[in-house]
Amino acid sequence: MCWFPLSRKSWGRIKPLLSFLCVCLLLLSGCASNPQTVAQSSNLITIGTTLKPRTLDPADAYELSSLSLIYNMSERLYTYEPGNPEITPELATALPQVSEDGLTYTIPIRKGVVFHDGTPFNAEAMAFSIKRFIANKGKPSFLLGDVVESVEPTGEYELTIKLKNEFAAFPALLAFSGVCAVSPKAYEIGEGKFNPNDFVGTGPYKLGEYGSDLVRFEVFDEYWGKKPENQGVNLQILSSGVNLYNAFRKQAVDIAYLTLDPDQIRSLQQSAKKGKWDVIPNEGNVISYWSLNRNQKPLDLLEVRQAIAAMLDREVISERVFYGQSEALYSLIPSGFDVHKPAFKEKYGDANAEKAKELLKKAGFTKDNPAVVEIWYPSGSPPRALTAIVLKALADKRMDGLLKFDINTVESTTAFKNIGQGLYPTFLLNWYPDFLDPDNYTQPLLSCQEGTTEGGCKNGASQTQGSFYYSERMNQLIEQERKAQDPAQRKQIFAEIQELLARDIPYVPLWQNQDYIFAQKNVKGAQLDPTQNVIYKNLKK
Amino acid sequence: MSRLYRSQESEEKIDFPIPNSQSPIPNYQLPITNYHFPKKMSRSKALGYYVTSRLLLAPLQLITIVTIVFLLLRATPGDPVDAILGGRAPEAAKEALREQLKLNLPLPLQYLEYVKSLLSFDLGKSISSSGQPVWEIIWEYFPATAELAVCAISIALIIGISVGVFASSRPGTSLDLGGRMFGIITYALPMFWTGMMLQLVFAVGLEWFPFGTRFPASLPTPDRITGLYTIDSLLSGNLMQFFTAVQYLILPSFTLGLLLSGIFERIVRVNLKQTMQADYVEAARARGIPERKILISHALKNALIPVITVLGLTFASLLGGAVLTEVTFSWPGLANRLFESIAERDYPTVQGIMVFFGAIVVGASILIDILNAYVDPRIRY
Repeated sequence: MCWFPLSRKSWGRIKPLLSFLCVCLLLLSGCASNPQTVAQSSNLITIGTTLKPRTLDPADAYELSSLSLIYNMSERLYTYEPGNPEITPELATALPQVSEDGLTYTIPIRKGVVFHDGTPFNAEAMAFSIKRFIANKGKPSFLLGDVVESVEPTGEYELTIKLKNEFAAFPALLAFSGVCAVSPKAYEIGEGKFNPNDFVGTGPYKLGEYGSDLVRFEVFDEYWGKKPENQGVNLQILSSGVNLYNAFRKQAVDIAYLTLDPDQIRSLQQSAKKGKWDVIPNEGNVISYWSLNRNQKPLDLLEVRQAIAAMLDREVISERVFYGQSEALYSLIPSGFDVHKPAFKEKYGDANAEKAKELLKKAGFTKDNPAVVEIWYPSGSPPRALTAIVLKALADKRMDGLLKFDINTVESTTAFKNIGQGLYPTFLLNWYPDFLDPDNYTQPLLSCQEGTTEGGCKNGASQTQGSFYYSERMNQLIEQERKAQDPAQRKQIFAEIQELLARDIPYVPLWQNQDYIFAQKNVKGAQLDPTQNVIYKNLKK
Repeated sequence: MSRLYRSQESEEKIDFPIPNSQSPIPNYQLPITNYHFPKKMSRSKALGYYVTSRLLLAPLQLITIVTIVFLLLRATPGDPVDAILGGRAPEAAKEALREQLKLNLPLPLQYLEYVKSLLSFDLGKSISSSGQPVWEIIWEYFPATAELAVCAISIALIIGISVGVFASSRPGTSLDLGGRMFGIITYALPMFWTGMMLQLVFAVGLEWFPFGTRFPASLPTPDRITGLYTIDSLLSGNLMQFFTAVQYLILPSFTLGLLLSGIFERIVRVNLKQTMQADYVEAARARGIPERKILISHALKNALIPVITVLGLTFASLLGGAVLTEVTFSWPGLANRLFESIAERDYPTVQGIMVFFGAIVVGASILIDILNAYVDPRIRY
């Protein structure tokens, strides 16, 4: 037996074939030589992401993946400047005039704006866009549909919106990316009449190509505002964080943004320190919280919910799960808002195991009869899987057997269906705000239209979030903050809401995320707006 | 040499149907279905009868696929309305969407509605993509999968047959052992792991190939004619685009092809060994024809016949493997889209893509049967 099975003669015959194959490989890598080099030489920016857009129709787009594309091709009446959660006019020329009863908003409209298809923009076009947003019944239509009574142009450049009820956060709702101006010539009003593959708006970019893994944005030459700093942007959609991580490391993309796992972010941060690329951290607006179902034992006991809130060690979670890439959260309202009040920290502190044990003993639990609580989380979320493990370890180590956690996981689509039916005792959830106002962090989680204090929520927001929380006082406070136009008064109401939340504990706030943009060294101007969108027009090489 | 071949007989088993022992065809020549036709029917008539019966059976096979997919999807936990609107949408909005999507109808009625629309070749509209017709989705995504699949199956055939021939040319040697190991290992390797490893080595480490996706964002994509980037770039005479498309195609198709090649390697190796013991091969040896010539010119042709059969059976594995390959390599194909649609409980899209894939597998198996009959005149029906 010979270790090399080919005779010298055979080898001689195979050699030319192998040489030919090698030449082919060299030709391949040579002729098409690095497409990445091409990317670096022009002022075209390539952004890598794992977020795949579902639709480009603003009346049906409700996910960041779609909204971030629409954001860069469109304009709304109001928008946000980076780092500032207060709205500023965009297609409006000033903040709205609000009638005394708080129901009528009059908005002056910008002149000299045209759509990508050449149609002039005016109040009628804006009214058309808002009416379409509501009437076509897309995913986000309820945001305006529940609030707006009528939208009418009251002049060529003046728009009047009447509300069904007072809603102080309404102007912030007008900054939602989907409430943008769309060309009346390119779109139709009618239920289900969507244009998922096209977009005609007024923004600095128009749609060049919308492919399955690639979206091209071309500069709109007739844009009324400041022209983009680049010659266009390409969005490369990758199927996983691993691919995005490697594509960025190999310079196949100029910018990497969403979604990378914490360990990938840490690795890129470490390389950034060595000067390989830039990392731009941003305070995120997504919050993570733990929903506690007050209709399930032992969570029906306030002491158990309070004990959970007290034993929680947010610093350890931040360190072990996120390598410090998140901020501990002690209220459902993120710290970026001036109404934020760290009520949980004030009431329970952090990692207060002694208080937790005391509360559990008071509720009648012992080592032999511990409080057993199930933790559920969506299976596709590694951070929440790790959080559940850390929580269990914390309880096992610090609670002297008085509190036990059982970890369970379920696919997110199944979870959506079951949470509202009260199947899970506790669930680890994230909240992505629709618009930047404290109201959007409280009303959709805490309010309930129908229920009792004893039986919990039967129908309402807290039921869909799995806590089944019902409080007359909370409902009143939410109604009051929605009506209050005075910022000082609103602040006071939100303070009480947060205190009540910390007292009743339908949810335990966990952390608010940090967003990271990674940019190659030759790329400048990478910025996020407060709603997590990368602002394309400022990017340049 | 011949003794050596015979000594291996008991070791190797063929893992596909053994043909009729009464048949005059030696047992190394596979496979062949025995249909009962009138004894005096001519070959061409028998072939026509067989093809017609296969074509008539195809809709039955398809409707079985449709029914199973329809029921399995509904049995899966999770509601498409919840997947689309999320848990926070008002109940009224959810009900309205359920009504709009006809999900409020009883299951048999939903099924009948679906079959009715299928009969008019209407695959429905995607639930998750703002009502985009499913045909449009297939039209948009399928060329990428087709390009990957064709390239992968070609690579699988080249590698599988080459390794099989080499291994069987030196029975009992390390080459033979290597061939066997190759067959077992490539069959057993998980697709996602192999894909990631090959990416790490060849795209990240050695940088021989680009990383992920189908075409770089920095270059203009080839103008769509067929949707196959390699073909379209050649048709438009753009060699730069062609080489780039091939560069991006090699790694995913090689991964898929490599893992499928084990099946072909095993069949070729086993069949070639058995063929090399046939009387006509002994006769050729006796006439002094060199062993290499016997192997390539005489034995290989016969040994390749079962490969055609297995090629048809491999189509299903190919499409299954394409799902994992496309997800691993960010390849924007129909299989990747199927994966996403399942997560979104997009019933019409999942059903449409599955029916489309089912039609391809059924069509391919019919084609392979006909091809088999064409290349081997000894086949009886």
